[in-house]
Amino acid sequence: MEAELEIARDVVGLAKRAGAQEAEATFVVARRFSTEARGREIAKLEQSVGRSLTLRVFVARAKASLATTDFSREALESFVREAVDAARFVHGDEFGGLPELPQTLRSDAGLGMYAEDVASRTPEAKIGDALELESIARATSPRIVNSGGSRVFDASITLALANSNDFAHAYRASSATIWSSPIAQDGAAKLTGHYGSASRSYATLEAVGAVASKAAHRALGLIGARKPATMRCPVIFDRDVASSVLGDIFSAVSAANVALGNSFLLEKVGERIGSEFATIVDDGTLPHALGTSPFDAEGVPTGRTPVLERGVLRSFLYDTYYGRKLGAASTGNASGGGIGPNNFYLEAGRRTPEELVAATPRGVFVTETIGFATESVTGTYSRGARGYYIENGEIAYPIDEFTIAGNFLEMLAGIDAVASDLVFDQSIVSPTFRVAEMTVG
Amino acid sequence: MHPNPQLFERVLTRALGAGDFADAFYERRVVRSFRLQDGRIHEAGISVVSGIGIRVISGERAGYAHSDDLSERALLETARVATLIAKGAARTDTMRLASQPDRPPSVYGDSGDASRAATSAEYVDLLSRADIAARAADPRVRTVNASVSCEIQEVVIATSDGRYVTDRRPLVSLAVQCTADGTVRGTGFSGDGGRSGLEIFLERTPEQLAREAARIACVNSDARETPAGEFEVIVGAGSGGVLLHEAVGHGLEGDFNRQGTSLYSGRVGERVASELVTIYDDGNLPGERGSLSVDDEGTPGQHKVLVENGILRGYMHDRLNAHLMGTVSTGSGRRQSFRVMPQPRMCNTYMPSGDATPEEIVKSVKRGIFATSFAGGQVEISKGDFVFMLAEGYLIEDGKLTAPLRGASLSGNGPEVMNRVTMVGNDARLASRHYTCGKGGQYVPVGVGMPTVKLSGVTVGGSGVGG
Repeated sequence: MEAELEIARDVVGLAKRAGAQEAEATFVVARRFSTEARGREIAKLEQSVGRSLTLRVFVARAKASLATTDFSREALESFVREAVDAARFVHGDEFGGLPELPQTLRSDAGLGMYAEDVASRTPEAKIGDALELESIARATSPRIVNSGGSRVFDASITLALANSNDFAHAYRASSATIWSSPIAQDGAAKLTGHYGSASRSYATLEAVGAVASKAAHRALGLIGARKPATMRCPVIFDRDVASSVLGDIFSAVSAANVALGNSFLLEKVGERIGSEFATIVDDGTLPHALGTSPFDAEGVPTGRTPVLERGVLRSFLYDTYYGRKLGAASTGNASGGGIGPNNFYLEAGRRTPEELVAATPRGVFVTETIGFATESVTGTYSRGARGYYIENGEIAYPIDEFTIAGNFLEMLAGIDAVASDLVFDQSIVSPTFRVAEMTVG
Repeated sequence: MHPNPQLFERVLTRALGAGDFADAFYERRVVRSFRLQDGRIHEAGISVVSGIGIRVISGERAGYAHSDDLSERALLETARVATLIAKGAARTDTMRLASQPDRPPSVYGDSGDASRAATSAEYVDLLSRADIAARAADPRVRTVNASVSCEIQEVVIATSDGRYVTDRRPLVSLAVQCTADGTVRGTGFSGDGGRSGLEIFLERTPEQLAREAARIACVNSDARETPAGEFEVIVGAGSGGVLLHEAVGHGLEGDFNRQGTSLYSGRVGERVASELVTIYDDGNLPGERGSLSVDDEGTPGQHKVLVENGILRGYMHDRLNAHLMGTVSTGSGRRQSFRVMPQPRMCNTYMPSGDATPEEIVKSVKRGIFATSFAGGQVEISKGDFVFMLAEGYLIEDGKLTAPLRGASLSGNGPEVMNRVTMVGNDARLASRHYTCGKGGQYVPVGVGMPTVKLSGVTVGGSGVGG
């Protein structure tokens, strides 16, 4: 990793010589593999090594940034100079500038971010996995007639971060994903089911057969769906959909949105806004989780930040700039020029999703949503949805073409059961949970 | 500097190997941007994307590799990796390209003169004018954010069948976002630009954009919750075209239809919409975001009839899907960058005018929703279910627009809704230029357009029960 660090240090030096008072460079080398099977054939095979550099410079606390894939000396020097010159047109900001970093950094030895098998597993074996996903999914039922493809893809990256305060550290990370999208025929309609598994290592993925079979059953389960009547009832969010709900909550606790007044959680720190089941945490230190890293995009060590504790809003999530602006310390959430999650999750409960359904006399189990509009200021939530109607604690029949609507504050307050199925396969994750009452129709 | 023709020839010769077809896509894209927040210029940014992607096609299989290192050694290795997918006997033919790449006629709105790059002072001036105008527009305006970006993308495309083309694509964008405080906090967005230089903002001024964003924010600050249920919906001219893009356009992209995964697969010549519905996709409209002199495979942009009087006429194709379906590319092969393979994509998708006046369309609705503009949408291809989010909308009561509505989404099924188009206005126009389309994680600029259109029954998801 010394070669990557040397490039990051070198670019920091270029920026300083061009007139930057402070500079921070991140150099990433990513080795990627991706393949897609359709039917009995491999449709796509992609392999590459890509390099990218991002640089932040400060001139009189005014910020400019450069992102580039052009590493010719001449281009690099010219664009670094241009970034420094552009910063002179930006207003100096008392909160701008690099973070004050600790002298010593926690070791990333126990974080389990890198697995050798991602780079060392042969392309033939990965292609074999994709073909197997496809054949098992299609063999699940004669009603599976086609597929949107089965994919296997992975990445191994080296990230080196250096700044003008003599910070220089690097780490390696890997990820592997297997995914299938079989299609069931329902009369004239085609119904696509999606299921996948992601991890730091091929060894810890769900089995190929289980992934393919779950994807197929998601497609088959939608056959004969009806449109439900408009009603108020309990809504159970399957963990994929629940994760997307957590994504909106993450936006609302991001200090950038809070500072702009663009959050339904403004001025609510210390208040009880959720039910006792609503405990939400951001943690960058969980071993093997996909959102884990030793430090954030500014070099600030990641940690564990309780965001919501039994319904009480404890903290927003900060990078250095918005921390200074709002009078808080960075929580180690700097990411890609903004604020991003480490592992941002709703704490799991004890019951299985099946037990949640069994404890719901009448309601809706949502397995898919489409749409992404959230009125971030008012917290209004509205999504197109698919899923199942629950009657007498049992899945009665599939439903689709309906919307679920409500408000995030009502939803947080209405969480009355959380399941145990939490998996850290993305940066923002959630177990299945139930909201006591929402509008469905 | 892009590779010379001899290097392209060597790379393509290596890439073709045992494949049927190979192409190389060189790109150099420089984007400069500034962002304003809290009345001050908050940050400046430069983004440089430079590299080559090499693709090899063998039957229905596609191999791909890319490199940001443009040395001969790196490119030959990239070609070797791309060709691993090809089966069969290696070919020995040697590529021959012209000595200069062909430069097709420009469909862009700038002079094509790269000599005068905008200065930082010009960007900053546009943002400051927008900020002042938005705050002056209405005392309820609380916050103003604005951003401007200016991009030049140079591409060179070389193929194993001798195509050798270059294109230089400008793209500018100015966007203003406001919040306003009324009974609730409302947000408003307005953006414009297109494939032009910054001079486009002499006619589409930052003041106009800022006042529009402030107006929408103020409307939404006194908006009431949207009733849920099934309604007659009128979709406003211009940005209503998002509906065509999501509800129909994606389902007509060639890859989904070749694979048989779209609900429109195998239905060319069939009735798929009300006879009032005609839909075009056009890559040639001057200066529009989705316009391309040539697409990312070197095929010239085209005017395509997708649906004509309710009858499905054709799909949008890139070269791979066209070849496998026994037809030709429609100039729809697009990609986000050299790091990804092209996909069939929309350019500028729109519906031409019908006969009705917008006034008579509104008058014909007793109780319904008027969707002035959408904040975005999404579609599920295999079944055609879609959702759109309203950016600005109103309740219609007894043929008149009354209360502004917030938090509404429209959902339904593409073909079903297209069969429920009962009136089409005579006021077709293109939306302002700020739309970006995502597909498979790849984002490309697009245009949309539509006249005022009445839909006879659409599910509206609001937060209040009943209507």
